[in-house]
Amino acid sequence: MATAVSTATTPIKPGQKRWSERNVSLTIQIGAWIGFVILLLPVFIVVLAGLNSGEYLTFPPEGLSFRWIIDFLTSETWMGAYLFSLLLALITMAVSTILGTMAAIVLARHKFPGRDLLRAYFLSPLILPGVVLGLALYVFFVTTNLGLARTLTGLVIGHVLVTCPYVIGTVSAALVSFDQSLEEAARSLGADPWTAFRRVTLPNISAGMMAGAIFAFIVSFGQFDVSLFLSTPDLTPLPIALYISLRYTFEPTAAAAGIFAILLVIVSMLLTARLVNMRKFGGIKFS
Amino acid sequence: MKTLRKQLNNPISRRSLLKKGAVVGAASSLPLFNINHVWSQDVTYDGGVFDAEGATLNIGEWGGFWEEFVNKNLLDQFKKDFNCNVSYDSSWPWFPKFVAGGPQNPVYDITNWNLPEMFKTARAGDYFLNKDEILENVPNAKDCWDFAFENGVGVTWGFGQYCYAFRTDLADPHPTTFKSFWDEQYAGGKRGTYITSNTLQMIFFLTASHVFGGDYKDLDAGYEAMRSAMPMKISDFTGNMQTLIERGEVVIGVQWEGEVYNQIDKGVPIAAMVWEERKPILTQTKTISRYSDPVSKKLALALLNRTLSPEYASEFGKTFYMRPTNKNAVIPENLASKGVTNTADATNGMWIPDWFWYLENEDDVVETVNEIFAG
Amino acid sequence: MTATAENRTYSDSRGRRLRIFMGGSRVYWLILPAFVFFLIFFVVPVLSLFLISLDKSVAGVVDPQWDFTTKNFVRFFTRATYYEAALRSIGLASMVAIITLAIGYPLAFLIAKTENPGRNTFYMILVLCAMQLDMVIRLYGLMVLMGDNGLINRSLIDAGIIEGPLPLMYNFAGVVIGLVQFTLPFMVLSLIGVIRSIHPSLEEAARSLGATRRVAFWKIIFPLSMPGVLAGSLLVFAISISSYVVPALMGGWKVVVMPIHIYQQIAEMGKWQFGAAIAVVLFITSVIAVIIYQRYAAVTAGGRT
Repeated sequence: MATAVSTATTPIKPGQKRWSERNVSLTIQIGAWIGFVILLLPVFIVVLAGLNSGEYLTFPPEGLSFRWIIDFLTSETWMGAYLFSLLLALITMAVSTILGTMAAIVLARHKFPGRDLLRAYFLSPLILPGVVLGLALYVFFVTTNLGLARTLTGLVIGHVLVTCPYVIGTVSAALVSFDQSLEEAARSLGADPWTAFRRVTLPNISAGMMAGAIFAFIVSFGQFDVSLFLSTPDLTPLPIALYISLRYTFEPTAAAAGIFAILLVIVSMLLTARLVNMRKFGGIKFS
Repeated sequence: MKTLRKQLNNPISRRSLLKKGAVVGAASSLPLFNINHVWSQDVTYDGGVFDAEGATLNIGEWGGFWEEFVNKNLLDQFKKDFNCNVSYDSSWPWFPKFVAGGPQNPVYDITNWNLPEMFKTARAGDYFLNKDEILENVPNAKDCWDFAFENGVGVTWGFGQYCYAFRTDLADPHPTTFKSFWDEQYAGGKRGTYITSNTLQMIFFLTASHVFGGDYKDLDAGYEAMRSAMPMKISDFTGNMQTLIERGEVVIGVQWEGEVYNQIDKGVPIAAMVWEERKPILTQTKTISRYSDPVSKKLALALLNRTLSPEYASEFGKTFYMRPTNKNAVIPENLASKGVTNTADATNGMWIPDWFWYLENEDDVVETVNEIFAG
Repeated sequence: MTATAENRTYSDSRGRRLRIFMGGSRVYWLILPAFVFFLIFFVVPVLSLFLISLDKSVAGVVDPQWDFTTKNFVRFFTRATYYEAALRSIGLASMVAIITLAIGYPLAFLIAKTENPGRNTFYMILVLCAMQLDMVIRLYGLMVLMGDNGLINRSLIDAGIIEGPLPLMYNFAGVVIGLVQFTLPFMVLSLIGVIRSIHPSLEEAARSLGATRRVAFWKIIFPLSMPGVLAGSLLVFAISISSYVVPALMGGWKVVVMPIHIYQQIAEMGKWQFGAAIAVVLFITSVIAVIIYQRYAAVTAGGRT
């Protein structure tokens, strides 16, 4: 009798074909690949446009060349915007992850009256249009005159507001599957609350935290709506730089910028995959 | 002042101050520290070079190739001569940013406008220096023709003509009149115009009202014209229209000469058909913000002075086919060959609609035209 | 009496005393920083903006005038352009949510069931890459693909399948496609974890009782993945209804949804009051959606929260 490689293998009759993803029917596989195509076709086009040797956004490309990539790497505006987005996203990621994890812990643990309301409270920045949020913040910064208008902090604040909900979502999901009695057991063995949390709970929800952090980073890096009113010529994130540039003219350098954003994801994902077992990604949870 | 500072440094009371401040601040637009603004009205400039000691000048002006040109021909040298930084913001529109901060907190020190948006902003508050203040402090302004100040708000430093941009290889026959836009050959979305907040669309609409209805104030004629032109591709900026035409998504689009000639130079099979029935004028007007920081304000005046210089006007004319308003500017060859002259009545025959009338009616126009665009 | 795992519950009085003794309630302070942060930087600014919606509509005035009137809201609900935009927003967001669910579920399923860690990471990278592609440049990529003169149309026309170009962009369809493309990763990521957490033996049991794969899927797996389905749908709905740049660029400035009206009123007309009123309506609509979601989620989650 053939030993099943995993418990998730469906039993088959002798002679029946096995698909490579054993548990997945053909219909679903086809559906999945359609999904991949939809996801990746624009990426593919943009990558090719960035490598186009011609002047315009044509497809198929006239030829392959690195000139736009070099243009991008040597352009002060584009590199500036790219590095700024990177900085902004990293700061946002750090702040969001900390604030969000702390909030998620409280929300997931105890059932208290108003918990649902609180969950909705933290979700609310996502249901307001980003442009409105950006505008409201801009006006707020200007009228309270605390030196936040047109500053990095102001921009970070806007970004944290729209990325925190994601962190709370992923960490909440991780906490749901985390068995609290593990921490209780640690406590009963004499650990103080902080140590129990640090050495038992934290490692187990680290995948959720990491997932939330990645979400926060990606959402911040690609954030357009909120940044629209909060950015200044010196504090221009990449999406805004792209928008401004593409309004006035099209340069394939813009596509090269897109390529680098994607490269950034690949690199950070590979890094994360080495640190954390990606399969432990627990999804997202808002209630 | 000292206790305020102590309060601000104490984190707990900073939070409550923030909360209180938010309500107070929202209810009144008085900033907490505006000592400088008391002095800013007294800034003068005599035309010479001075050391700004690294101050920043905030500019609001069009981006892309325009920005490159301005940097190369004006700002790079300016930054060196005056020892300053320049923050060039091209994320139009300017109006909401000005209004969000109020006159006391101008977002730019010197701004480049098309007329309607400038009027809209001026109406909303005392944002800009007036004509006399400019004439006093900007030597080159005295050399500008009277029509440069006709708008009553800022200084017009250049102007151009409206036209249709069309693909010479895709339009057959080529358009010859304003009404050619409505030809059958462009049906099915090959016509292009702009969103209602873009001046070019406003002018296109008013010109259509005039050509189809006899009077540019005949809004119904304008609406009808827009309706019969649908479906159209709507763009938000002339740069985007350029791309649409390059890609062949649009075969005939509303444009102004400068952009078309630029595209021709790049090798795109495109040509310009200048409007004859009515010759609206696309003006470039600059304003200086009244309540800017004093040093920035002085820099703004200095920059305006350089912008109004005859040499700069000629350079701009060469590249963008922009017509000058300075008496002493020499008309470059490309414009002279089209019969353009630099005289006090250079704008004769050119038309500026009554923008105040338009702004009164803007709500209706925007709503109706958007409804038409939405199909 | 030793506190064993069995009799240490949190609901009885002894448990409560135990919890307080263990400092469980001290954990509550952890939520404070986030709460206050949101309060100062979200609630206050947005409330000030909403306050303006009750002011008289004057161009260029930003501060609350404390001049109460409901005229702005009346205007919103009586003029067709506006309430139609509201319906369009809701319709758009719902459609996008359904479509992304239909496309995203198979994809999430595939990734969830991929055992090989290398391949799994590869799929995840693909999904995250798609997410990371910048919004504006992505829309230009879609224009190359779907424009009248774009790839799809040109190939179809060249192949003689159609006469004139299919209007895939600068209309409602274009906006839907753009939003689906943009929100798909969010849906997929919401679903993966939930699908993975469904114990395989449940499906096996169904299969061994004679159910076909399809029946097992629809009767067992899909219902069990409801929490993820709902979370993903809510997320996609929220993103779609509040998106400005996708309807603006993919809709060719012709598909007017509420964020576009809001932006127009505020940035173009300077009518902050009316713009704020539209924002309020949009916000309340989304809040209603969240409430519906939470109720439905509570019902179907089966007490697993």
